Amino acid sequence: MSGSGVALVIGSGGVKCAAAIGLQRCLDAEQIGVDLVVGCSGGAVYAAAMALGHDAATAADVTTRLWTREVTARPDRAALLRMLFPRLLGFTERFGLRDDTLIMDRLQQAFGDATFADCRIPLFITATDFHTGEQVTINEGKIVDAVRASIAVPFAFAPWEVNGKVCVDGFLSDPLPVGVAIREGGHVIVAMGFESPYQEKITSGGRFAFQLSSIMTNNLLKASFAFHGLAHHSEVLAVVPRFSQRIRLFDTAKVPLIINEGEAAMREQLPYLRRLLKATTGTYPKPSPAT
Amino acid sequence: MSVTGERSMGNYAKRRVRVGLVIGSGGIKCTAAVGLLKVLKREQIPIDIAVGCSGGAIYSALIALGEDPAVTEARTLVLWKDLFTKLHYRSLARALVPMVLGYHEQVGLVDDRRVWSAMQSLFGEQTFADTKIPLLVATTDFRTGDKVVLESGRIADAVRASIAIPMLLRAWEVNGQLLVDGGASNPLPIDIAIREGCDIILAMGFESHMNANVTSLVNAIGRTSTIVTNHLLRSTFAFYSVAHHAEVLPFMPALDRRIGITETQHIPYLIEQGERAAEEQLPYLKRLLAASQGDPS
Amino acid sequence: MQVTIVQHDHVTVVAVAGSIDALTADSLVASLNDELIAGRVRLVADFGAVEYTSSAGLRVLLATLKEARQRGGDLRLAEIRPNVRHVLELSGFTSILKCYADVDSAVASFPR
Repeated sequence: MSGSGVALVIGSGGVKCAAAIGLQRCLDAEQIGVDLVVGCSGGAVYAAAMALGHDAATAADVTTRLWTREVTARPDRAALLRMLFPRLLGFTERFGLRDDTLIMDRLQQAFGDATFADCRIPLFITATDFHTGEQVTINEGKIVDAVRASIAVPFAFAPWEVNGKVCVDGFLSDPLPVGVAIREGGHVIVAMGFESPYQEKITSGGRFAFQLSSIMTNNLLKASFAFHGLAHHSEVLAVVPRFSQRIRLFDTAKVPLIINEGEAAMREQLPYLRRLLKATTGTYPKPSPAT
Repeated sequence: MSVTGERSMGNYAKRRVRVGLVIGSGGIKCTAAVGLLKVLKREQIPIDIAVGCSGGAIYSALIALGEDPAVTEARTLVLWKDLFTKLHYRSLARALVPMVLGYHEQVGLVDDRRVWSAMQSLFGEQTFADTKIPLLVATTDFRTGDKVVLESGRIADAVRASIAIPMLLRAWEVNGQLLVDGGASNPLPIDIAIREGCDIILAMGFESHMNANVTSLVNAIGRTSTIVTNHLLRSTFAFYSVAHHAEVLPFMPALDRRIGITETQHIPYLIEQGERAAEEQLPYLKRLLAASQGDPS
Repeated sequence: MQVTIVQHDHVTVVAVAGSIDALTADSLVASLNDELIAGRVRLVADFGAVEYTSSAGLRVLLATLKEARQRGGDLRLAEIRPNVRHVLELSGFTSILKCYADVDSAVASFPR
């Protein structure tokens, strides 16, 4: 990958990922290009929008229509029954408690039949192979399929098959896949990731499970980020918005706030980013011909 | 010396190396550590520090106290039968009907009292001060997700906190913190050994096997948890081993079967695989130790 | 540990045999660095005969990887044995660099 801009990685975080719109706004204003984009789970929605060339306003619109309560409100009754009577009704790994027709509709509205080939810059979306647990990097085929696979939150949405692999949410293998940007030749990498919230009070089995899940995935996020930061030959800039209020999974009313916080967080890093790009542009020469 | 100034051995060739033993989380698979301990004793490999996490903390603590691995082996079969086989019915009920019986942060399906008496029979009232080499036990703060390292107080408390696998054993309070399984934040805590100045780290860790078929919600939950745990193990291992000069030797027993936490009949197999893993790394370990002692072998 | 270097058109293949560990890594890195300094920054490491790697060995290899990238090139791996692959996965290497089943594919992966 050659380019004088940045490689962008947008990690999982539900509606908080809309902060990437603010980040994009900031980079656009500064005329800093994004040469490559990687998205995981919620981040995949924005990564795809950016790669397809959607502007910030369109992306904001997609968000408010995607992250609504209704999207996960409709329970999949058949699935519910299969969960309670697995042997009788046949529980399979393609299990999800929520009917996914609405989310597929919304994704279809957002991305239509667009494929990775339609992207203006290289796009990589990560999911997790439910059989092997390995990270799956998707960069071909229909965008709708890749995003649906990446956001297949376990137990909420059924896994989604892509290229013969049964995929679940990318965050299980790495909530912020900086490794993909490194492997695909990124130089200066800007990474926007979000920690999962901890519970205030644990009053049910569900909350207990969420707490445990947050503990493990937050530690995974930190360790993976630390490793990739050390292993990369250039800088990995972490852009972490500080949300002054608690943002719940479907707080779409807070989207404007989220976008602004994303922009502010990117702006904070701007002076250093500019110095970095200035210093490094031209230091990645084309390799000399073999002697 | 490379262009970047990186050297593989660091400067420690001039002084005696510090060897740390880290035994990570892995439920009943941690019994494989007995095999490793037997080989280390036979080869007279000196260990300067012992770090343990979850099930591994039991064995790290015992070696730190100076127990002979043969004695540990004899104890191990009985120990694991006691630890996880009895269910605590009130907790089970609470887990299933939270609203009726009142959900509690401190839920655990396994009978606590037997676990505690097992801890007492292993460690009595001994404290960290009673160990022959420093012992450090990794746990997780259940409220904040932070890694918490215990290095003082009663060993029984520390190990009990470290093996508090969520859902199986209830959390354990130590010094006002509600602690659970160290594996939830740091399954193979080699960072602790690095912090304590180790140059060579023997790290016994366990990757979880994926369950074969997902045929129920419980399976599906288990599968998801296994996926994240394995990645957490790898990413922490990757970071710690790249961040420091210490040479980390991973001892990860190859297992041909999935072993549940109550399947004590596999313990002899586990111990054997632990020995095998130890034998595999032994040649390199001995070369490393010889080189650091200035012996050009 | 032995190192054999073969120049292809636009890529240098470095075949390694034996163990890459704290005691042998320095000499491997010295060979690789010679290539980098000579401007040959597209490297394929043929691991077909590598029996063992350790974290110290990989750490030194990582320094070379970074150096190659900083000079506009890359280091890619080929023909990794299962036990070595396991260590590479554990150490996070498979997430940050490209691995190929055979040397030809690795060489072909570099654009001309």
